Amino acid sequence: MRVLVVHAHPSPESFVSHLRDAALDELAAAGHEVRHRDLWAEGFDPVFTADERLTHTGDLAAKLERHPELAPHVADLRWCEALVLVHPTWWSGQPAVLKGWFDRILMNGVAWRLPEGANRIEPMLGNVRRLVVVTTHGSPKWVNALQGEPGKRTALRSVRLMFTLGCRASWVAMYGLDRASEGRRAAFERRVRRRLRRLR
Amino acid sequence: MRDVVVHCHPVEGSFSSAIRDAAVRGLISAGHDVTVLDLAAEGFRCVMTRGEWDSYMSGDATIPDDVAHHVRAVRDAEILVFTYPTWWSGLPAQLKGWLERVMLPGVAFTLESRRVRPALDHVRRIVVASTYGSPWLYVKVINDNGRRTLTRALRASTGWRARCRHVGLYAMDTATDDDRREFLVRVERAVAR
Repeated sequence: MRVLVVHAHPSPESFVSHLRDAALDELAAAGHEVRHRDLWAEGFDPVFTADERLTHTGDLAAKLERHPELAPHVADLRWCEALVLVHPTWWSGQPAVLKGWFDRILMNGVAWRLPEGANRIEPMLGNVRRLVVVTTHGSPKWVNALQGEPGKRTALRSVRLMFTLGCRASWVAMYGLDRASEGRRAAFERRVRRRLRRLR
Repeated sequence: MRDVVVHCHPVEGSFSSAIRDAAVRGLISAGHDVTVLDLAAEGFRCVMTRGEWDSYMSGDATIPDDVAHHVRAVRDAEILVFTYPTWWSGLPAQLKGWLERVMLPGVAFTLESRRVRPALDHVRRIVVASTYGSPWLYVKVINDNGRRTLTRALRASTGWRARCRHVGLYAMDTATDDDRREFLVRVERAVAR
């Protein structure tokens, strides 16, 4: 399978970056074709610009010419059959750099189109049939439940609706990282490895 | 009272600017002092650096220079107002990053023996004014994740004491001029009440 891994963490020495490495290991071992994007490492700018806002229903090719840094991300997204997101959950959601990857890359003509006079967008990323989110939460699960899990719903509902109908999704999440023992971390890493080894 | 309006939209002069201005008008006419933090206008950097992450994790409470005036405004605030467009059911990245870089330990919460305690107990009210491309029902089904981030995750940092108000303009792409005018009136009323 063609798998795009999008990673967002500022420190390559963090637990989340370690999970990303584990995910890449397993995907390679399982024989998948993998592309990997480390948004922090490449300095991805997540801020949707005035130009993108003003031309958001405009011509795609012209837009990519004006924002050439977005083109490789668009190509990756159109190429993949599975999207794997690896990130910490901060303030109940994706870090800004990953939220901005949604804001900027899931653009009109790539992820969706808006038919004339309609206010419901139509999905365009029919190539994506699998979504996996690997994330950690500092706080315990009940806190996140109380907050309504905005990050989970953004990825598994809002974003996933742009993928093929029936796209399967896995939410591989660890809660309570702030107070977790080494044993719990290791157990979560095993869970991540198992999930990606069996990716279909 | 001292209030903060956090505004996030890339285009100055768009309808979103009118929403920000309606919020400011409502607060001033109620006799409040208002600070506007216009993230796009000041080119707010919303991505935490590696160094900032390291000091966050080591419990170092240094406030980065470029967010110092944001922190000062928030520490004084009794009302926090957020005006932004909802994208992918959530906050624009720049506003999400504002939470990450400004709502630091010692500002929004304190960490005592790894337990999180709220520190925004001076905030009495959170007001959210947002526009949506999608119709109301679609937003309800997907979940209004930006709103939840502010009225739940951020509200938790007030010790759940702040009252929350939300006003939304749905199906923006087919909204009429009347819908828009009416929405501005609702924003102006919502902030001051």
